[in-house]
Amino acid sequence: MLLSFNWLKEFVPYTGTAEELGEMLTMLGLELEEVVHPFEGISGLVVGRVLTCEDHPDSDHLHVCTVDVGAEEPLPIVCGAPNVAAGQLVPVAPVGATLPGGLVMKKAKLRGVPSHGMICSEREMGLTDDHSGILVLPEVNKSGRKVELGERFVDAYELDQEVLDISITPNRADCLSVYGFARLIGGYLGLPVTMPSFELKEEGEDMSNAVPVEVKDGELCPSYTGRILKGAKVGPSPAWIRYRLNAVGIRAISNLVDATNYILMELGQPLHAFDHNKLAGNRIVVRPAEDGEKITTLDGQERLLKAGDGLICDGEKPVALAGVMGGLETEITDESESVFLECAVFRPASIRMTARRLALGSESSYRYERGVDPTGMAFALDRAAALMAELSGATVCRGVCSCTPRPFVSPVVRFRRSRAEAVLGIELTDDFCAWTLEALGCKLDRSDEADWKVSTPGWRYDLVREADLIEEVAIFKGVDNLGETLPAIPQTLETFGMPESRHSFMMRVKHWAAGLGLNEAVNFSFVGNKDLDFLGLPAEGRVNIMNPLTAEQDVLRTELAPGLFQNVRQNIAQGANGVRLFEIAEAFTQDESSDTTVKEVRHLAFVLYGSRYDEAWAHADEDMDYVDLKGIVEKFFEFLHLPLPAFSMAEHPYLAPAVQMTMADGSVAGVIGRLKPAMADAYLARKAVWYADLDLDLLREASQGKYTHFQQLPTFPAVRRDITFIAPRSLHVDAVLAAVKGVKTSLLESAELIDVYEPKGGEERNITCRFTFRKADRTLQDGEVDKEREKIASAVVKALGVRI
Amino acid sequence: MDLLEQLNALPGQLEERLAQTATEADLEAVRVDFLGRKGKLAELMAQMRNLTPEQRPAFGQAANAVKNSLIELFEARLAQQEQEREAAFIAGFDPSLPGRTLWNGSLHPITLAMEEVCSVFRNMGYEIAGGPEVETDFNCFEALNMPPEHPARDMQDTLYITDRVLLRTHTSSVQVRTMLKRKPPLAIIGPGKVYRRDSDVTHTPMFHQIEGLLVDKHVTMADLRGTLTAFVRAVFGEKTRVRFRPSFFPFTEPSVEVDMSCTQCGGQGHVNGQPCRVCKGSGWLEILGSGMVDPAVFTAVGYDPDEVTGFAFGLGVERIAMLKYGLTDLRMNFENDVRFLHQFPV
Repeated sequence: MLLSFNWLKEFVPYTGTAEELGEMLTMLGLELEEVVHPFEGISGLVVGRVLTCEDHPDSDHLHVCTVDVGAEEPLPIVCGAPNVAAGQLVPVAPVGATLPGGLVMKKAKLRGVPSHGMICSEREMGLTDDHSGILVLPEVNKSGRKVELGERFVDAYELDQEVLDISITPNRADCLSVYGFARLIGGYLGLPVTMPSFELKEEGEDMSNAVPVEVKDGELCPSYTGRILKGAKVGPSPAWIRYRLNAVGIRAISNLVDATNYILMELGQPLHAFDHNKLAGNRIVVRPAEDGEKITTLDGQERLLKAGDGLICDGEKPVALAGVMGGLETEITDESESVFLECAVFRPASIRMTARRLALGSESSYRYERGVDPTGMAFALDRAAALMAELSGATVCRGVCSCTPRPFVSPVVRFRRSRAEAVLGIELTDDFCAWTLEALGCKLDRSDEADWKVSTPGWRYDLVREADLIEEVAIFKGVDNLGETLPAIPQTLETFGMPESRHSFMMRVKHWAAGLGLNEAVNFSFVGNKDLDFLGLPAEGRVNIMNPLTAEQDVLRTELAPGLFQNVRQNIAQGANGVRLFEIAEAFTQDESSDTTVKEVRHLAFVLYGSRYDEAWAHADEDMDYVDLKGIVEKFFEFLHLPLPAFSMAEHPYLAPAVQMTMADGSVAGVIGRLKPAMADAYLARKAVWYADLDLDLLREASQGKYTHFQQLPTFPAVRRDITFIAPRSLHVDAVLAAVKGVKTSLLESAELIDVYEPKGGEERNITCRFTFRKADRTLQDGEVDKEREKIASAVVKALGVRI
Repeated sequence: MDLLEQLNALPGQLEERLAQTATEADLEAVRVDFLGRKGKLAELMAQMRNLTPEQRPAFGQAANAVKNSLIELFEARLAQQEQEREAAFIAGFDPSLPGRTLWNGSLHPITLAMEEVCSVFRNMGYEIAGGPEVETDFNCFEALNMPPEHPARDMQDTLYITDRVLLRTHTSSVQVRTMLKRKPPLAIIGPGKVYRRDSDVTHTPMFHQIEGLLVDKHVTMADLRGTLTAFVRAVFGEKTRVRFRPSFFPFTEPSVEVDMSCTQCGGQGHVNGQPCRVCKGSGWLEILGSGMVDPAVFTAVGYDPDEVTGFAFGLGVERIAMLKYGLTDLRMNFENDVRFLHQFPV
């Protein structure tokens, strides 16, 4: 809401600065965004009088003028406007002044004639688009004061130089007008509020029945009134109205429309002017629309209506979408002469529904959606009619056409000081509470001293419950002046000993992963359907967004892969040699059994790409591979005190090789593998992209209650023996270890792989395992260990057909 | 030269030779030459059998003495060499060599900020609660006193899945879920992702919030003020000032926004005579929204508003992260450039 400081002061004698006012309003819940200076660009312009005006000797259109700007010498100015003439009062940009486009006036010569300034058009001043000629100014300003030569233009004509941009929360419909602010400020500071004075001259016979009004749904429209004006002449409004509307962000159109907009901004009452002669049947019917009805609104669009949209109709057809936009057919045009001026209140939710559905937000619908004061209608209608008459030369017909099925009844709300004290945590006096409520326009019934009955005013739609009144008391007290205490936090026994929460588990995993040396990534939860398609992921079960911002964000991710691969791409593009990321986030799929129709599973994903180490210093320069990633995954199972899953080759849409991880109970914990090279190209990856995806919810469940069981340290030393098996390449290492496990031996403590050597070009590779032998109660002899070693070696050779 | 003379000459010879040794290998060669099994001493000892029995004891004694002195000489040289090597190592040691690092792990600044906030409230005794990111209209709006067509819905442009299912626009839905499930008293915080249909320099369509809720028998607005002032001081330092300002949220009444003194200019509004860029000259930074739980919310979840009162607050994690770590571009949070991530080591 743009609030003109000057305009406000016409209502209330506020003496501080605009900034001080803004600060005060902010602390009253009406936050000042900034103080804007709409006419700053022309603050250097002064008022001047054209003394002489002659044709330029070397031009067919330029004029050579002398202009008195109150200085000792008149200024010589060459002016190209066709309408310039001696005797005119004009805006002058003297040398040194800046124009809105940034042009700084300098002494110049135009075709040999010196020119020390410029006489301006409205367009040059950034006021309107009018560039037909220079702006010729009136001798007196709107207050009736004669302007002086050399006076600053913006001061002389009392332009709205300071405008407070205030953000209005949806509950404060009462502050959507200059008057609304004046009322609040007056109440808070105890200043008198002066309503604008006007003279309404009603003429002719009583026309209050000339346009009968019928309201078919009193909930939709509690009250509808209108006045008839005759003999209007449509034309531009006077400058002061146009500039003022301009200052508060409204484009001036014509005197009739500008009058309604002026009253809208001043009093907050939306008005609509119909061309009275085009209202068929000379009557008004207010009713809800039926499904499928149509109306062409004044922007020329045909609108398809739904049941419940508010409609204003004449004797035959809809003529306006109630509170949202007028109809094209009954629009005021340059030929209009007779006006039916509508002033009504409508049900906020209906207006909002219609305006939202048709994307037809306007200054009027904005106010109707939030609530327009029904007790201010009569004044607003009279004031608007008088202003319209003044601007257009129309006469106002006697009488008001109206229908008020639901006259305003002030809500009565209880207020207990004790309750306010309990909620706010401070002590209050009855006097303070009463002062606050009365300053807001409430009427108090204090017959029960402890439980007041408060009648709230028509402009405060937000004061309907005791909590609402308590808030007002808090605001007037100053929410920054209440006490500060630290409450005791209630604890219940139930919450102790509960399993670790999802959040704590996640945080523990994040710290583990970061501690391991991985970098945490955070990606958007939405991706494009095409990203999922690209990875060959199934289309079924995806959760699409109905109203996505872009096609790149039109579906919730079913896996974390698209985001992390994109991160790899981004990092490669930025020249990174190695990328090691992890992310923990939800994956979304449809699930009819969920109350949200969506299943959310928390995943942990890793991606590895490129160099194993960031620094070349003190490291061999090698790329990461399967073993790096698998090591991370194995460590993770260990971290969760879970046995390693079975790793088995699987088919996968975007990984090859893809290794599925299956838990002992058969559930699948995730997959690990390399992004298919054909797909990796799209992510700029020239090297292998290693990726792992784990179901974190499943692993959390599985790891609950698992913790370390301490193993006694051995007393006697171990003896180690290595064996190298020469095996075909198709033989997996775990087959060797499994064969070892099958050997009956009482001395073997553990067996582990220590090396795999693959001679070039061969069909075979050397698998070296290290065997650790130990007895819990004595030191082993070499002989018995060698025997065991032989036993194991020959058993493996026999079982797998490998050589030693 | 007789045998004894030859024997007594050995230490002198050894000394000469030792003086010429430079390396460990030289030293070893000299040792073998003099003290080895076929070395000079052994050779002379072997000739002892040519002596008369009377000469032998004297020679034997002399040989022992020579042997000891040879060993002494040798070990002295050995020790000297070791000392020299150690001195050379120390002299040549380069303390400026960069350290060998394996991987530089990091937590995302959003995670770090979230943890910092959560830990303040956990220490106060709040419990962490959660809820789904895809929510029902009821949990996200209706139960929070935002019926359909409420103008407050304009404050949050929503991404919808269906007409009644949406991506939560705030973590306040966690309040609703928790209250529907549990009886008062309650003290919870709910961190998580939230979504709005909004994308520009200062908005990303996904961001993070932390919701807080305290419900008990006599919770007051003064409690709210104390709690949030404590929070701001804990995260931003004891000198940080806090300002409460009336505002509007459908689910709280009274509603307040909380500002803290600007982290850049310390609340002055200007730095070196220029208006502060972080707070745009106001000296204040909006940091969170809060208020006393609206009675309508209690009614919606089946609590009796005459029995309990409470306060709720919600804060933007990105905002905290930006202020705390001096981040300038919101979008950088979601690009996951490793050069960015590496700046937040753990």
